[in-house]
Amino acid sequence: MKTLATAVAAALAAMALGLPSDVTAQERTVKITGFGAKSGVIRSFGINSEAAMLAAAEEINKAGGVKLADGSKAKIAVEFLDDRCNAEEGISVIRRIYGTDAIVAVGPTCSNVAEPLFGILQKKVDDKGDSGLQMPVFTDVAIKGGLAKISEWAFRNVPSEFIMYSSLYYWLKTQYPDAKTVYGGVEEDFAHSRALWYSVMKDRAQANGYTIVGESKWLLNDANFATQVREMKKVNADILSIAAHPFTTCGLLKEMKRQGYKPKVLVGLTSSSTSETLQGCAKDVEGMIIPTSFAPVNKEAKFAADQTAKYKGAADLHSMAAWENMFILKQVMESEKISGDKSQVQADRRKIRDGLAKLKTTQGLLGVSKRTADREADKPYLFVHAKGGEWKVLHNPL
Amino acid sequence: MLDFLQAVLDGMLFGATYALIGIGFTLVFGVMHKINMAYAAASIGGAYCGLLILQVMAGASPWLVFLCAFASGGLIGYLVYLACFHFIPLSSPLATLMSTVGMLLLIDEIIVHATEGRALGYPAVFDDVMLRAGEFSLRGDLLLVFGVSVLCMAVLLFLLYKTRLGLATRAVSQQPVAAQLCGIRVTRVNAVTFVITGLLGGIAGAMIGASVGALSPLLTVPLTVKGLIVTVIGGLGSIPGAIVAGLLVGAFENAFQVLRGVTERDLYVMLLLFAFLIFRPGGLFAPKGGGG
Amino acid sequence: MDFYYGMAQIVGVHTLLGLSAYIVLLTGQVSLAQAGFFAIGAYAAGMLTVLAGWHLVPALGVGGLAGAVTACAVGFPALRVKGLMLVIATLAFGEGVRIFFFNFDYQIARGDITIGPLGGEGFRQIRFFPENGWTTAEVMFFIWVFVIIVMLVLWWFDRSRYGAVLRAVGEDEVAAQSVGINLTAVKVSSMTIGGAIAGLGGGLYAHYTTHIEHSSFNVLVATFAIAYPIVGGLSNVLGTLLAVIFVQVFLVEGLRFLGDWRNLLFGALIVLAMNLRPHGLLDAQALARVRRLFGKDRGA
Repeated sequence: MKTLATAVAAALAAMALGLPSDVTAQERTVKITGFGAKSGVIRSFGINSEAAMLAAAEEINKAGGVKLADGSKAKIAVEFLDDRCNAEEGISVIRRIYGTDAIVAVGPTCSNVAEPLFGILQKKVDDKGDSGLQMPVFTDVAIKGGLAKISEWAFRNVPSEFIMYSSLYYWLKTQYPDAKTVYGGVEEDFAHSRALWYSVMKDRAQANGYTIVGESKWLLNDANFATQVREMKKVNADILSIAAHPFTTCGLLKEMKRQGYKPKVLVGLTSSSTSETLQGCAKDVEGMIIPTSFAPVNKEAKFAADQTAKYKGAADLHSMAAWENMFILKQVMESEKISGDKSQVQADRRKIRDGLAKLKTTQGLLGVSKRTADREADKPYLFVHAKGGEWKVLHNPL
Repeated sequence: MLDFLQAVLDGMLFGATYALIGIGFTLVFGVMHKINMAYAAASIGGAYCGLLILQVMAGASPWLVFLCAFASGGLIGYLVYLACFHFIPLSSPLATLMSTVGMLLLIDEIIVHATEGRALGYPAVFDDVMLRAGEFSLRGDLLLVFGVSVLCMAVLLFLLYKTRLGLATRAVSQQPVAAQLCGIRVTRVNAVTFVITGLLGGIAGAMIGASVGALSPLLTVPLTVKGLIVTVIGGLGSIPGAIVAGLLVGAFENAFQVLRGVTERDLYVMLLLFAFLIFRPGGLFAPKGGGG
Repeated sequence: MDFYYGMAQIVGVHTLLGLSAYIVLLTGQVSLAQAGFFAIGAYAAGMLTVLAGWHLVPALGVGGLAGAVTACAVGFPALRVKGLMLVIATLAFGEGVRIFFFNFDYQIARGDITIGPLGGEGFRQIRFFPENGWTTAEVMFFIWVFVIIVMLVLWWFDRSRYGAVLRAVGEDEVAAQSVGINLTAVKVSSMTIGGAIAGLGGGLYAHYTTHIEHSSFNVLVATFAIAYPIVGGLSNVLGTLLAVIFVQVFLVEGLRFLGDWRNLLFGALIVLAMNLRPHGLLDAQALARVRRLFGKDRGA
């Protein structure tokens, strides 16, 4: 019985390990594989990105699909792989994708996966001595600054927090002219939060004339904020800038309510402008201002949000980047005249890479985004604040 | 100086949550001489199940949620016993250790799947009550948690020392073979112990959820580590030891956070553990003959 | 093909991690500190190749040595702690190492950028392999040379007196002492060897992921280190290899076609495996059967 079970298991494994073969149906298909975190506390990110990609692919396919070099049309096929926010698995996943006929990968979710993953890509195109992987990766979510410059095959469509927070502090100066001091709250052990406070918020607040009067730190799974809130209360700065994710942000805000401390202005982390924060502490987060590169303020944005909801995903700045990526990729595929031929996959991948590198602007849901020289994006943004259990647009600089 | 003392006080109060989870860990060690690595996860799982009552009865009182968590914890405790301890022979301690690790991963994933990994708000009682004692302020809800741990300790000690079940439990922990010879059904005693620790775990999870204000799968691993540390410092199998150790670890944690910053804080908690292991390996209170 | 080579790389490094815990488990010590030695080896080897420009092989040697020295230092106090307490003590040590690296900054300037470990941000751009043009297959062979050497050494131990002594201590310390076995020497030496293997594995890990940070060496990694030998069985080094393949190939990659169910099955299958085969996948009985299959049965 045990030997039989082992044999069956081995057979299943062998079957499953076989790389997914493409379905040679009547229509031609072009494959885009998304990957990201569908496990653990960031599971919702992966779910949302996958939903956005599937919804976008459906739209593109409904309108006829992608035009190939030989004039025929191909449908876009989307697959999504879970990397569990783990560096080794992310690398394994990108290698798996490389072995299929997918011509571009969209992901990852986690910045701590993006770094090692970009690290194994070929650093400079056409460098014969560099054995790095030659696969174009177009990131939708991993937002830690400056990652795309690690490799010429890495491209990102994430908002520049540097630009957004700079603009935010500038605008706050006009709205609250009496506010002079900024105090920070930072999640020390999460790359994104750390980088946001130290490299972005602190720097940009000072550049706009604010004085940084201190910072309180905690770890991403901390639950006791008594000491930190006492520090904040003591200093009582005008603006409290929190670089932390929903769980600790909510914990901190609850402690602030407990100790009766309310700063004049509350600024938060981009990733906290989601429904998760509202689910955790809608009452306490009231009034928090966050810059974001997505809100359903126009027809296209609302449409994208509705379509994504059909696939059980929520629309936020992260998942909507995935939606935008799909349309940008369609555009690049057509402008670079990819062959869509299963025997020319590597050539098509190179074309996509070159096409993405050539772009100077891309169409986003809020407007036109600029592409920077180091393969990052400069996206239009607006400021939202938590009001009545929802994220409402506070100020639209567009 | 006053600030420092307040910080220590804040930490100690939060340590009541560690105390509550430590009691469960120490019971499983003390009685079964096995580590149940899934304990903290099962407790948090019980707390999540407590929220299910809100699906049925929106606007239910927090006490009802806690009650539901209490009951769910017991059920989950029994399931953990069945999956990890009932079928595995006692001669394979490594196997039970590993199966509880598997259970920890499973419970974590079930929680993540059910909630999409998001934090869920948890009903709280007295969560905005701040008592004043002279220059210091104390969190009302944490005092409640402390009260609950003392109550649990009293109930458990009564169970262990004044009931037949407790007698059987202590007998099994000291001499399983002799206990069997006396007619005590070892498997039944073990199952009941797991249900009891599960019930306790459900309460612990609910209280932790209430004091944090939200439940998240992020809580499971740190609680497991803290729970294990508290158990060792308190003495394997000693319930009052677990409570005192919980408060101590909480106080130390915050003290070091103030002195050395949050990134080095846990390092000092580890050093505290090592200090105990070197100078007082039995823990604060060597067990009163009820265990190890 | 690259995907399979990459998978083999992962299996190789995880086998080293598992073997580092295996040798310590033989003496009856359950050590959750192996992830700590793994981390030390990773940072040491990474710093030598990135900051000091060393070739990978001597850097790995130093990584292994660093792991060994630390493990030796841990081995002595570990003698005083028995059973469940040792599990917690080693867990605390492993976490302590992780937190140390969380706070560890050592940056030097190289042109207009700084390189080196940067506390919470981790240690990035450990690009020895891609910079020197190693292909995925070459890296795989390189890793497996080490894995095979370590497996051969451990197998040889098992067939020699040292292995018997290790297992004797693991079975019954009192009996072992009464035949004159020096418990201290045995336990500390096994811990040291385990540390060396973990350090070596860590050095390789740093180079094939190119980016390491404190969270790469957390409690979960420490738990997997002992999971591999326990799930695989302590009778033979191949058990650990089998367990690594079971987890990394079958559970992690093989079950991908199950989509979301994969993660749930992960924990569930480990629980199932322990219930069905409490002495490991390749326990003494299974080993005997395999031996008979290969005709190693010496007569009736």
